[in-house]
Order: sequence, then C-alpha cells, then structure tokens
Amino acid sequence: MDEHRTRAAALLSLLPWLPWLALLASLGTTWLVWDHERNSANNEMRSQFNFALRETVSRIEQRVAAYEQMLRGVQSLLATTSLKNRKGIHDYVESLQLDANFSGVQVIGVVELVAAQDKTRHEAAMRQLGLADYRIEPAGEREIYAPVIQREPFFGRNRNHLGFDAWSEPRRQEAMIRARDSGMAAISGKVRLAVDDASTATPGFIMYLPVFAHDQPHDNLAQRRAHLVGWVFASFHMNDFMASLYGRQPSGLALSIYDEVDPTEAALIYRSTDGNEKPEPAGKNTLSTIEYMVVAGHNWTVSLSTQQQFEKLYDRDTAFVIAAAGTCLSFALAALVWLLLNGRSRALRLAARMTEKLRHMAQHDLLTGLPNRALFSDRLQQELARAKRQNGQFALIFLDLDHFKPINDNFGHAVGDQLLLEMAQRLRTTVRAADTVGRIGGDEFVILMTELTDASDALSLAEKICEAVRQPVTVNGVEQRVSCSLGIAIYPTDGIDEITLTKRADAAMYRTKENGRDGIELAGRMTNSRF
Amino acid sequence: MIVRIAFALMLSLGNLASAGAAAPDCSRPYTLALHDHGLLYSADTDTGIDKDVAEELIRRSGCKVTVSLMPRARIWQLIESGALDFSLSGIANADREKFATFAWYFSNRYYLLVRKDVSVRQINDFVQNTNLQLGVIRSFRYSESANRLVDRLQADNRLSLSSGLSPLYQALQLNRIQGMIIEPFDYPSLEEKKIREFTTVIEFNDPAVPHGLIMSRKALPVAEQEKWRGLIAGMRNDGTMRRIFEKYFKPDQAAAMVDF
Repeated sequence: MDEHRTRAAALLSLLPWLPWLALLASLGTTWLVWDHERNSANNEMRSQFNFALRETVSRIEQRVAAYEQMLRGVQSLLATTSLKNRKGIHDYVESLQLDANFSGVQVIGVVELVAAQDKTRHEAAMRQLGLADYRIEPAGEREIYAPVIQREPFFGRNRNHLGFDAWSEPRRQEAMIRARDSGMAAISGKVRLAVDDASTATPGFIMYLPVFAHDQPHDNLAQRRAHLVGWVFASFHMNDFMASLYGRQPSGLALSIYDEVDPTEAALIYRSTDGNEKPEPAGKNTLSTIEYMVVAGHNWTVSLSTQQQFEKLYDRDTAFVIAAAGTCLSFALAALVWLLLNGRSRALRLAARMTEKLRHMAQHDLLTGLPNRALFSDRLQQELARAKRQNGQFALIFLDLDHFKPINDNFGHAVGDQLLLEMAQRLRTTVRAADTVGRIGGDEFVILMTELTDASDALSLAEKICEAVRQPVTVNGVEQRVSCSLGIAIYPTDGIDEITLTKRADAAMYRTKENGRDGIELAGRMTNSRF
Repeated sequence: MIVRIAFALMLSLGNLASAGAAAPDCSRPYTLALHDHGLLYSADTDTGIDKDVAEELIRRSGCKVTVSLMPRARIWQLIESGALDFSLSGIANADREKFATFAWYFSNRYYLLVRKDVSVRQINDFVQNTNLQLGVIRSFRYSESANRLVDRLQADNRLSLSSGLSPLYQALQLNRIQGMIIEPFDYPSLEEKKIREFTTVIEFNDPAVPHGLIMSRKALPVAEQEKWRGLIAGMRNDGTMRRIFEKYFKPDQAAAMVDF
C-alpha cells in the first residue's frame, strides 16, 4: 500500500516535467524524420547521378561502336579493291549518306603504308593519279611513312595536306600500331586534325582500322605485321562527336572528358558548356566522380559532377519543411501539455473555492453573514458535548428586535435590511470572541455564550447587548431606534439538551415580550430585568 | 611404359567424355564476346586464355561463332537480353544465375593490390583510411569478402569505376587510386615487373571462386546448354584446358587453377 503510494507520488512528481518530455520526444521524432528525408533525398540524388554516369559512358561507347561499324564498311571495301581506287572509295563514302547523324565525323580517309625505299615511287604514282603537287610531309627521310592519300568528303579544307605522314606524329603512330597489331579499331590520343588551322583547332581524335593485303592471312600478330598495307581512318572533333551522341545529357551535370587517365587541363578534350563555362565551386552536396573508359583500345577519363541546378532537383525543400513544421509542432505540443496540466489544477482550485462558498452559503445567513440555524445548531451541539465532558455551563440567548415590523412597513425592506445588518454587527462586536451569534428568522437572533463560570455573567452580557441595540441607528439620513427582548436558558440548570434549552430560552423571550418588551428573562427564575 | 599406358587411358577417357556429349545444334551462327582483361585477353596482341578457350570450344562445336570484343558491363547486359550467346571467365551470383548459366573450367582466389606507400597491411586498413580510392571494373563481381569491400566503399563514394583493366593500372601508378582487386591473370604481361615494384598484394580470405563459360539462358535452350557444358567438360577431362593455362602460368599454378 505504502509502496503503491510512493510510486504514485513519484509519478506525480514527474508531472511538471511532462511538457519538457513531450517537447524532447517530438523534437526527437522531428529529427528522425528530417534525417530520414534528407538521407533519402541524398540517396535518390546519388542513384540518379550514378545512373547519369552509367548512361553517359554507355552512350559514348555505343557511339564509338557505331562509328567503328561505319569505318568497317570502308575497311571491307578495301579488302576487295586497291588502296588507290580513289573513285571507288569516293563513291562508297558518298553512298554511305553520312547525314547529320554522323556529323561527328570530320574526315574518312585512307593512309598507305610506305617503306623508306618506296617513297619516291609512291609520290610519283600519286602525282600520276592527278594530284600534281602531292608529296609526303613533313619532309625528311624516315624508315616508315604513312601518308594520307585520300580524304572524303573531298572538299574545302579536307583537300589540304594530302600526303601528311601520320606515322611522323607519335599519337597517331601509336594508334596505328595498335590497330595493326590487334587487327581492330584503335583510336588515337588527343590530336589536332591535319585539316585544322592551328589557331582555330579544337581537340580531336582519329580512329584507325588496319587494311591487310588481299588474300593474305592476318590471324596472328606476325601475319598482321607482315601483311599490312595501310589504314582507313575517321577523324573527329571531340565537340562534334559528343554532339552526335544519342539521347540527351541530363541537365545540371558538368561533364569533362580527358585523354588518358590523368585529368589535367592539358589532357582535356571535352567539357560540356551547360550554362556557364566555368565549373562552379563545389557545394556541400556536390557529387563528383570519374570513370575510366577504354574506347577502341584507348583510355579516356570521364569526369562528372553535379551542379547547383541538379542538386536543387533533389534538394527538395521537404527536409526543411519537416524541420520547421516539426519544431513548431513540438513547441505547440509542449505548450498544450503544459496547459492541460495547469488547467486541471486551476479547475481544482476553482472548484474548491466554489465548494467553500457554497458551504458558507449553506451555513450562513445571506444578509448578515451570521451563522444560520443549521450552523448554530451545530455549534450548540459541540458546546453541549464540551459542557457535558467538562461539567461546564453555557447560556443560550434568544433575541427578538422590538417593533421591527413597522420599520419594514414604513420605510421599506431596504431600510429594514440596513437596520438588521447594523444590529448583527453590534451583536458580533458585543459578544466575546468565543461566543456565536446566529440569525434564525426575520428579526430573531440567537447567541451562544460558551464556558460560563457564573450564570450571572450571562445576564450582564445580555444587558450589554440590550444597551448596544438601543443605540440609535441612522439609515438613509433617518434616525431609527429599536430595542430587543431577550430570553436566557442556562445549561445545565434549564436543560441538558438542545430542544429543552431552545424551548426554555424561547419561552423566556416571550415572557419578556409579554412583560412589555425591551427586557431580559431568565428561564430558570421568574426574575426579569427591565430597563 | 606405365606412364604411357596411363596417358593412353586418360586420352581414351577424355575422348569418351567428349564423345558422350552430343554435338550442339549448329543450325544458326552463335555470338561470343571477349573482354580485354590481362592474360584472359589482350586486344593489343589479340591473344589470351579466353581466346584460346574460345577457339578450341568453337572448333569442337563445329558451329559458326562470331567472336567480338566488348566491355564487361555490356557483355552482361547482352547475355541478359539474349542478344549474346556466350562469354568466358564469368563468375556467378544470385542475380546472374537468373539470366545466365555457367560451365566451370577454372577457379582462383582474389587479391587486393595496393600501393606500398599507403601502408595497408590487411583489407580492413584499406577500409579505415578514408582517403583511399579503390579502382574497380564496372559490373565486376568477386569473392564474397571482396564484394563486401566493394559494396562498402561504394556507399562511401570511394570507388573509381573503369570499363577496363589497363586504365586502373595507370591510375594506380599515378596514385589516382590506391588499390584494385586482381586475379592471377590480371597482370598485364608487359608491365608486370614495374607494377610489382610499387605495389603489394593482400589475399582475401575466401575460397577460390569458379569461373566458366557464360551461357545466356534466353538464347540457349536447356538441352543446348548441356551440350556446350559437355564440350567444356571434355576440354577439362582430356587436359586441353590445362595445356591452355600452362601457356600462361607455371605448371603448378595452372594445375591449381584448373583442378578444382
């Protein structure tokens, strides 16, 4: 039982903390939801970013494969005709109908492998084909030459630099060797295309496919090296190549492509100019990654990073809204709990006050505020019990104002009430602190004099009361005079219970009235006191 | 003499095994893709274990098979779609089992190749040092704890993807990545010595993982899959597979890979 009570008390002592607990709990929940939302937004952004990277790489691979396929057509043609069949090659390329889809291709061309001892003969043969000023460039003696002998489409700047020795340039040479040795397509590192002006050139690359001598095997490395006669190539401007990719690059992503695996500015071959040219500074949400690609045997490094536009797509304000709304709601909830807790105790206080007021109203006279019959009776019972226990005595005095009714009739109830109030006040101040004055009817009062040592004390107090009542009262500017008739019963001589004492005090009072009012009668004796 | 008899017996057993397997249906041409990956296949020289295995397999099948070279990620995509019939040296996982089936012909363990200058002694050291980037080939899976390492680092954005092996060695050399997961046949033949100088190898504590012929479930009916599986079994049983591996590895190493 005690334990139960202490536990209840412990719980009750926690009550004032309840609003804080509610605040903590709801702020905690807010934090969890906010964190979850932020994480899922980040995850979504990351997975979209990874998807974009995969797509980008895949589109580049596919496009390279498509160009390789196209170039294989030219390679196949040369498997059936001579490298110098200029018309055949021209017609074939024209029939490919390289439309806008292939706008990435700048040139489709043929390179012939020329041994050192064949250089002069080669130049002469080319001139005989109608290319009057054909010669291998750059000039000088080398062991191997690989001059460009044809470019298609053959117009504009594509007509320049026929005879350019691709083997003389290391990056081209490396790709040509790779194509020869593997028998497959090989692309070069970053180059300036031979047809470009140095001043306006943009980064380019060249794709080579080997051409082997007719009817000669090229199944292994040795055979391929022995039977190579030249290459077909396609050259590209990187910008045009990237523009020719299928699909659309997701916006808000900065894409850069570098030659080989070291992403330095010198190796840059492509940078998406999505919006602004300058890469934005990295924000706190910026995702950035690189992927190494092997395209036709050559390495490119693709660098992809998110820009604000992309980040904003996933930086949904939801997380902020959750944080703000959650915090507000948390405080609101805490306030509500506080109100509920305090509202209850306020209601209890109000109820107690009202109960007290009702109790007072039930026990007191409304007009004078003196104890009414019920409370007076209660006090009388207590005094009876006390007197019995201690063999003490007390007096019960009945008091009736004389000639009160005419005042009520002549001056109105308001004046009568004022008079009653004044009389009640006088009675209260005249009796001792321990005594009780009650009002039991219109002009009837009762007085309980407790702990009497002598019955005569009751008489002297009664006389004091009569004197106090007799003093004039001014109500609404009119002086009124009243007197009173008193009857006194003494415990235990006049009775030992409430009924008897009441009857005898009442009877004594009536005797006073019969004897001409304004006097005191003792119940036990026929003596009276008359003034 | 005894050796000779045993050899003859082995040969006949091998023949029995291959004779027992019915020939595949050659009414249509097939496609097989190689990926450029160390000793498995090098496009630069057009040679490698996978190429040898492919040639022998094609010879035994009697079918016309077009062989091409593709990035590994593309190969898995095409195997899944059924556009590609075969590839080689594949390893299985639950995902791949759904669209591919395998005929095992060798198994090997996986290793973490790390730069010496990052002082990584065990796999966990690599995880702990958040500055370290791991290079991996897109779509590659490995042994169990190697997969765990890769997945963990992916969540931390610490992977550098590649569509081939060669850029990873260069990136490792340039210190753009500090580690990569390798198999015994991953060293590029030319640069092996150079790479060994600045790297060290840490073994994953996993059992050897079987590698095999990848067959697209969509492209090949179950009965055909069994026939091709029979061809691979024949190559293993008659020692052909071992001889192919011995071209690229020391005999004991080749034996360890082929006998599993």
